[in-house]
Amino acid sequence: MLPLPTLPANASAGPDTLITGELTFKRFNSKEPEALVIGANCTMDGVHFSLGEKGRVRIGDYCYFTNVVLLCEVELRFGNYVVVGWNATIADTDFHPLAPAERIADAIACSPAGKGRARPEIPKRPVVIEDDVWIGPNATILKGVHIGRGAFIEAGSLVTRDVMAHARMMGNPAQVVGEIR
Amino acid sequence: MNPDRTLPWDWYPGRIPENVLVDDSAYVETSFSFYLFRSQSPRGVELGRGASTYLGTMFDVGPHGRVKLGDYALVHGARIICDTEIVVGDYALISWNVVLMDTYRVPFNALDRRKELERVPTRQPRFAAADGTARPIHIGRNVWIGFDTCVLPGVTIGEGSVIGARSVVAEDVPPYTVVAGNPVRFVRSLTP
Repeated sequence: MLPLPTLPANASAGPDTLITGELTFKRFNSKEPEALVIGANCTMDGVHFSLGEKGRVRIGDYCYFTNVVLLCEVELRFGNYVVVGWNATIADTDFHPLAPAERIADAIACSPAGKGRARPEIPKRPVVIEDDVWIGPNATILKGVHIGRGAFIEAGSLVTRDVMAHARMMGNPAQVVGEIR
Repeated sequence: MNPDRTLPWDWYPGRIPENVLVDDSAYVETSFSFYLFRSQSPRGVELGRGASTYLGTMFDVGPHGRVKLGDYALVHGARIICDTEIVVGDYALISWNVVLMDTYRVPFNALDRRKELERVPTRQPRFAAADGTARPIHIGRNVWIGFDTCVLPGVTIGEGSVIGARSVVAEDVPPYTVVAGNPVRFVRSLTP
């Protein structure tokens, strides 16, 4: 009953992986030869794969994502058995520069009048999420974050720094509130 | 609602399940809200007098789940993840992208979680169905919950309280209190 999108030519998915949604690849702009590689037995329910020209996303086996927004300019790497809850956002970029003058230059380059103008350098760093991580609904994971195996990110958390394996995180910014074994 | 339990104004070709009790004066915008509904309870979802659910509201209700929306309760696009009981009081206002979850759905233990994730691809539609650790959520009468807020398992929110936008509520909120933040903290009291 849900729309089944066609995979872009530079994307692949393993056996019994299900991808649903209407806007799944609407902003899939990666030119990398293997931009998106999804393993077997995954459920990608309404996931939004927004990839820049050099974006690469790797997803392991038995992952379950519900309406997740993936914003990728460099690399997002997920292990196996990763659960990401409804409406969570994971980004490997800051989208715009921090310095005010550079941000003006970026606003012009991004505008309809800025055709062909190069954008300034924007901070971006890969996000790595290891096996058995659970990320709750409405959570946000920012650039450069490495989440260790088995960590548990509570619903609505905003993660700005690396997370130790098996840590339970909560809050904005997310803090360690316990341990999950 | 039509006699065959379709909705005259619906964009989605679905029906309202038999165990969803909708008052004649209540409004359901789309049957798509029940795409993940699989409750076997005789009163899986109840909508009181003048209660309403709009686009984006999802009743992701497991086999033993029961959801009750009180009279004039307004749910405008919340994700309701229920394995035991979620009660929304009369006159409550629930904003968009709010998550009400009485369960984490999958087991905390990574090995048990793997077993459950291995079952997901065998189900149609796919869903995670594990585990008996759900704890009911009770949202009092006249409560207002701001957008993007998450209410975690076991939470009770007292009558007349207000939860600020983008909050995460992990503990009970007393009546007539404004709280906000992630995790929430006290902002001020309200006069009943």
